[in-house]
Order: sequence, then structure tokens, then C-alpha cells
Amino acid sequence: MYNPDHTKPGSLKSRFTTRFLRALSKIHAHKPISSSSPTEMFQRYQRIKAAADKSMAYSVRSRRTWSRAMLWKLRTRSCGRRSVKTSTIIKSQQAIMKKTRHEKQNENTTTTATTGEDGVGFCVEEDELREIVPGGEAMDLCNLLDETAHYIKCLTTQVQVMKKIADFYSL
Amino acid sequence: MDVGEKDKFELEKRNENGINYQGSGMSAAWQFAGGGNLTSTPMSLVPSDNPLVIGSSSGSASMVDSFCSNLWEHPSNSQSLGFCDINVQNGASSSNAMGITKGGPASMSSSIDRQFDMAWNAASSMLKGGMFLPNATGILPQSPSQLPADSAFIERAAKFSSFNGGSFSEMVNPFGIPESMAVYNRGVGLMQGTQNVFAIGGLKSVSGVESQKSKLIATETSGDACLKTENRATQESPHKNERRSESLVWSNEEARQENGGSGNESNEAESSDGVGGQDEPSALHSTGCEPSAKGVSSKKRRRSIQDVETDQAKGSQSPVDAAKDGAENQQKGDRDQSTVMNKTTTKHGKQGSQASDPPKEEYIHVRARRGQATNSHSLAERVRREKISERMKFLQDLVPGCSKVTGKAVMLDEIINYVQSLQRQVEFLSMKLATVNPRLDCNIEGLLEKDIFKSRAGPSALGFSPDLSVCYTLLHPSQPGLVPGGLPVMGNNADFMRRTLGSHFTPMAGGFKEPNQLSNAWEDELHSAVQMNYGAGAPSNSQEVNGSQPSGHAEVEL
Repeated sequence: MYNPDHTKPGSLKSRFTTRFLRALSKIHAHKPISSSSPTEMFQRYQRIKAAADKSMAYSVRSRRTWSRAMLWKLRTRSCGRRSVKTSTIIKSQQAIMKKTRHEKQNENTTTTATTGEDGVGFCVEEDELREIVPGGEAMDLCNLLDETAHYIKCLTTQVQVMKKIADFYSL
Repeated sequence: MDVGEKDKFELEKRNENGINYQGSGMSAAWQFAGGGNLTSTPMSLVPSDNPLVIGSSSGSASMVDSFCSNLWEHPSNSQSLGFCDINVQNGASSSNAMGITKGGPASMSSSIDRQFDMAWNAASSMLKGGMFLPNATGILPQSPSQLPADSAFIERAAKFSSFNGGSFSEMVNPFGIPESMAVYNRGVGLMQGTQNVFAIGGLKSVSGVESQKSKLIATETSGDACLKTENRATQESPHKNERRSESLVWSNEEARQENGGSGNESNEAESSDGVGGQDEPSALHSTGCEPSAKGVSSKKRRRSIQDVETDQAKGSQSPVDAAKDGAENQQKGDRDQSTVMNKTTTKHGKQGSQASDPPKEEYIHVRARRGQATNSHSLAERVRREKISERMKFLQDLVPGCSKVTGKAVMLDEIINYVQSLQRQVEFLSMKLATVNPRLDCNIEGLLEKDIFKSRAGPSALGFSPDLSVCYTLLHPSQPGLVPGGLPVMGNNADFMRRTLGSHFTPMAGGFKEPNQLSNAWEDELHSAVQMNYGAGAPSNSQEVNGSQPSGHAEVEL
């Protein structure tokens, strides 16, 4: 069954594809594959990976927390001197979030949950999810799940497009 | 609880799809009205962007995107907006046949589900001006154009109000929705040649409402009136009447047209009960919950009319909670009448005589269910839990193979694993792309985009394009550079090159394998190879590489 949004001009997939292809062509033009040294290969791989992430984040713009966080990370990675400030900001954000989460948990445990359903039961997985999803540290669970869903969708798009590109290239 | 109502909703909506995409001529008026009415400037772009591609999938997704992009400008609504965006895009992608009235029930239901959710979120976030009712069939961007034209819209809007349980209560704009619905309900509820009533009702609502909304409602009314005469004789129309009249009642309250409102209310309440009785056999897929819920809600409505203080909140909640609880415990005659508002809402206790509604409703109106604690803390907690479970369900749909998983912890584990696997796949693919030499001569972007937007079986066809021969010749000179590669991937690539360009041609191994299997095979071998000495240990790598060749790549026979 055809997915109709493939053909839409403004869909996430098309936006990501165009951006990523442009970045790829830039990378390849910058340094054609003539050398075979592993380091250069690795560098190229890193650049391509960053290009993929960047294209995806740019396709989403700032509509999503994870895209904003990812763009921030990519920008600060390129600019080393700002990384300290951003890392401290992120850390303080995380600290605040952890504190509020703990407070919430304490509050929830004191107030009786009538249905017995645990609103705060899955802390370990929650933290893991926060680490995985970019920008997930500064969100409560509800928003985090939202972001995760959108992130998953974008990741699947990314993987699909990259697969097709790779297949196309290697044919 | 929610699922049951959703099912009802889905099934009914399915039948509405056929009549959704009509009255494109109305959309123009709607767009103008919409543009004028919108308080938030980004929204004005949406109607103008919206071509009359009603029913076409391409339009909807782009509209969805632009629509949602406008939504995201509201920082306060990021949460629900996010959900909305996901839903929108997912819904659009999964079953865009929504607009084409195709697709099996299962897909429809899931897509409706998401689009429904999307609609709620959209409504909550944006419809401060009461402009857009959630078009629960999911083609939200088309909803502006369809609103005046959609007789099913009213039913959906009504269903929205009734369906709106605790999980969505925050998304209800009690002002926005009822106001716009008021017009519809007036127009359609009194369907038998009541165009005059429409006009009157429209005018009434216009007078009672802010000028922004009034324009919208007037256009809606006119458009709706025209279309109501056209779209008739559906089984749902009595159903809709019921809904509309039901929402008409509390929408009247919201619009603060007590004079006409109260009169109409009593009429509509009665008619709704009557219609509800008739509708029961005729309702296509509604369970017994609905009519009973409506009956209950109508009773609630009458009571709430007298309740001035909680006028506004109850107006939106009573049908909502009535329907919800009706679904849970059918025909619960005696309801828990204690409305527990959030503490914040009490501060805003609107009296029945307010002049103007605030365009923004930021507080969560929650009603305590029967037999549950009415503490505001536990209420908020309950709302939060429901939201979380709602999103978990949605994630369950996203993550493949999670339908059987029950329990949040396991579900979260699955989600985490899936996200990690996706991230690893991206890494692997970028590594693969780093090693593959791109074809320099052909129009890569054009070909690729064409390819990518084809179905999955598409890429195999490209293997036989005439460009290949040119590209292979190009690749050939670079082969020597690739052969001594120490990387496992490089070794792979070199092998591949040698095999395709060299003396022996490998016939296509069982046709073009499923990309999934392909990438998985690649991923596995690559990961295991990478775990070994990176860029060293050539013999073991090459062994690995050679062993993987038959399983992995599909060769093109030159």
C-alpha cells in the first residue's frame, strides 16, 4: 500500500530527504572517496551521521523539544567554547527536573492513589528514556511520551530514507 | 472506557466520510472567516493555504503540516500540540484513505483514533476563538473548509463533547466549541426548513459573542444552512440532531444567551431525548451507552442550567462526563453531582452573566467520577495518569510488536529498545553511506527522490536503469583505491565492487530482498565486525565479509 505522504511536497519525509541529499552531496564533494584510511572513513561517517541528525532536526524546526535540543547539541558541538555554558545549563535543568520529579513522587506517594495505579512507578525506564530522547531531561513524563512518539516517527522516516539512499547508491 | 467510546465514534465517523468532502464552495467563505477570526496570526495562513483538495491525501498532509506548524507557535500548548502533531502525521500517513472513505475498519479505527486525538489536541490548543472544532475524521486541515459544509461535523463536534472524558477535558475549550456549535446546532437541530432559525440563531450567537467569533459563526451558519439542505437523509442525521441539540444546550449557556438559550434548551433537551429514543435503533454503531448517556446528560443539563456558578464548566463537562460514565456504567441514573473543579477554576468561577468569554481557557475542568476521591490533588493525578496511559497506547501503536505487551514498565522497555535500535540503524546507515561512492554524473537528487517516494519494491527496478552502466564505469577506476580498505565495510564494498565489475557476476540472490532483512543482515554483520578490531584484523573481517555476502546484498546482473 502506498503511503500517500511520500508524495506530498511538504511532508517530513520529503523535507528530510532534500536536506539530507544536499548535505550528502556536499560531504562527498568536499572529499571524494579516494583515500581509504580508516580515520578518514570514520570522519566521513561522523559527518554523515551529524548531517542526518541535523537534517532531521531542521525538518522539524523548533516545533519539538527534541529537535530543539538536538540542534542545540549539534551547534554547540561545532562551537567548542559555548559547550561549557550549555552543559551547565542543561545540567541545571536536569537538576531542577529531578528535584521536581522527586517532589512529585513524594507528593504522589503521600496522597493516596485511589486506583492503585502507579503514576510514578516506572522511574528507571523513565530515566532511560530521558537519556535516549534528546532534550528529554527537562520534561515531565507526559510530554516525554509525546516527544518520544514524535521522535520515533522521525527516526523511522530517517531510517527509511537513508536505507533507500544507501540501496540506491550501492546498486 | 475511552476505548469503547472511541470505537463508537470511529464506526460512526466512517459513515460520515462519504459526506465529508462536499461543499467545497463553502470553504472559501470559511477561509475568509477563519482568517479573520483567528486570534493567533499563524492560523490565518492555514485556511488560505488550504486548496480545495478535499479528499485528496496530498492536500491533507501538507495542510496538516502547515496547520500543525502554526499550532506549535503557542508555547503553552506544546504538550497537546505535540500529541496532535504526531497524530496528525501518523494519521495522515497510516490511513489517508480517511478522506477517501476507503480502508478497512481496523485501519480506519486506528487512524480515526489518532486523528481524533489530534483533533482534540488541536482544538484545545488553538480553538480559543472557538473557530475550529476538531474534525475527528482527522483531516484537520480540511476541517476549516469543511466546517460549513459538513453535516457530519456537527455530529463529530457533539461527539467530541460527549466523548471528551477526563483525559481530554483539558483540551476542551468550553467556550470555543459550544459557540461554534451553537450555530450548527441551531441550524441543523431544527432541520425541517428552519433556515430562518439558522439566521436568527446565527445572529443571536453573533450578538452574544465576540466579533471575531461572530464572523466565523455567521459564515458557518450560512454555509451550513446551504449544505444541510443538500446533505440529508442519513441515518446519522437524527443522531446528529440529538447531538447537536445536546451541545446546543450547553453551548447556549456558554454563549450566554439566556433568553433564547433557555427556551431553546428546554426544547432541545426534550427533542434530544425524543430523538435519542428514536435514534437508538437507527444509530449505526452506537451502543446503548450513547442514548443513555445523552439522556443522562440532558438531565444534567437541566440541572446545570440552574447552576449559575458552575454554568460554564458544567456545560462542557456534563455531556462529557455523562457520556464517559455512561460508557463505563451504563445507565447510571443517579450521578455524582459534586462537581469538583480544579482549584484554579474556582477562582474563575464564571457567572452566567459574563459579557465576554476569555478567548483562552487555560484551566482543566475535571469532574470527579462516582465513588472516587474529589480531592483536587487526586483529580489532577487522575487526569495526568489518563493522559499518560493515552500516550502509552499511542506509542504502542507506533512501536511494532507491542500490541500484546501489557504494563507500563514493559512497554517502556520496549519503547526504549526500539528507539535505541532506530538510533543504531541510523548510525549504521550513515556508516554505509560513508563508504559508498555516490554516482557523480546522474541527477542523484531527482532520481533518489523519485525512488524514495516510490513503494518499497521500487528500488529494485532502478537497478536496471541505463545510468547504472555509466556509474559502474565510474566506479571502476576507484576500485583499486577501495580494495586495500581495512574497514570491514570497506572490505565489503570492495568485494562487492570486484564482484559486480569483475569477471563473475552474481545473479540476483533471490530477488531484491526485503530492505528490512537486508539492513538487519548488514547491521548484524557490521556490528559484530565493528566490535572486533576496528580497521584491523583483516583476515577475520574479510571472512566475516565474505560470509555475509550471500545473505546480504542483492547484486545486479549486468
